Amino acid sequence: MHIPDGIISASVAVGGYAAAGGFTWLSLKGITRQYKQPRDGVPKAALLTAAFFAASLIHIPIPPLSVHLVLSGLMGVMLGWFAFPAVVIGLLLQAVMFQHGGLTTLGVNACIMGLPALIAALIFKLRYLFGSEKVLPNLILSFIASFTAVALGAALAALLLVYATPAYLDFAAEHTAVLALSFAHLPVALVEGVFTALVVAFLLRVKPALLESGSK
Amino acid sequence: MNQKLHSVIRLFSVVLSLFIYLLLFVAGSAYAHGVELEYNISEAVQVTARFDSGTPMADAQVAVFAPGNPAEPWLIGICDSEGRFLFVPDPALPGLWEIQVRQAGHGGLLRVEVAEGALTQSTAGGFSSTQKAVMTAAVIWGLIGTAFFFSRRRP
Repeated sequence: MHIPDGIISASVAVGGYAAAGGFTWLSLKGITRQYKQPRDGVPKAALLTAAFFAASLIHIPIPPLSVHLVLSGLMGVMLGWFAFPAVVIGLLLQAVMFQHGGLTTLGVNACIMGLPALIAALIFKLRYLFGSEKVLPNLILSFIASFTAVALGAALAALLLVYATPAYLDFAAEHTAVLALSFAHLPVALVEGVFTALVVAFLLRVKPALLESGSK
Repeated sequence: MNQKLHSVIRLFSVVLSLFIYLLLFVAGSAYAHGVELEYNISEAVQVTARFDSGTPMADAQVAVFAPGNPAEPWLIGICDSEGRFLFVPDPALPGLWEIQVRQAGHGGLLRVEVAEGALTQSTAGGFSSTQKAVMTAAVIWGLIGTAFFFSRRRP
């Protein structure tokens, strides 16, 4: 899901940066609206950024490919508006440390993973309709949110890669490879959905306040 | 008698040589079964592409860019099942050759310096797992520190 340097054209990279900048601005607005003291949300965001950063090093072999955890859904569910800036920082660290992704594609990757995280946050917000202290709606919504985040991220990446295939490559072969990679993310989406639901179940029992994104 | 036998043999040999000549002529012109093989030993570049999990990038697409022409690939090809790709750069084009390997949006760029008639080796990326662990730990510690910093009690 991390698009490395040199794969997409410069115009797409610049567009990605612009879009990521816009979403960051939107998120910061959302954070200031939601928190009286925005810094109150930083510790949780920092810890989840650490999880996000490390998760991409956990490979799940799905022959013939190898995919890794993304955790964009968990970020959205746990962090709300903080998810997008946290994803940007996590991606920056991954790109600088491990050349996972790239600096020129940081904007594009932030959109691929950050936007689904925000959507996951929105989906998880629906729990207030069902009663936020009831366990079952929480579990189902967190599963759906996380599953959607990974699936949507894979779909966005696939769209972009197919769109950005250079003319000299064998288009059909690349297309097939991209499609295979997207479908390889289905098990990841399932795993992350279950994982997020487990985390939510645990927190509901131990410290439900951590699931509230924002001080009321 | 002896003379007669002699002339028969002579006639026979003429016919036979004509036949052989014909055979050679036809074979040479129409079928070209003869093959000329040449060889010269030159330096090749072997690229091995693996995902960072160690899985070879089987059938990944490779584009080789000659120095000074980053827009148009000099050669395109496909890795074998072990993620290997072999090519011989044109020694008449010294400079930095770029080899791009990609598969489903995963990929990387490798640069090989081709001097006049000599290659220098380089690798792209690749940390040992110890290095990776230390780097990961450092980043995580930094983020935990950030969390502590922002969760400290304010006066």
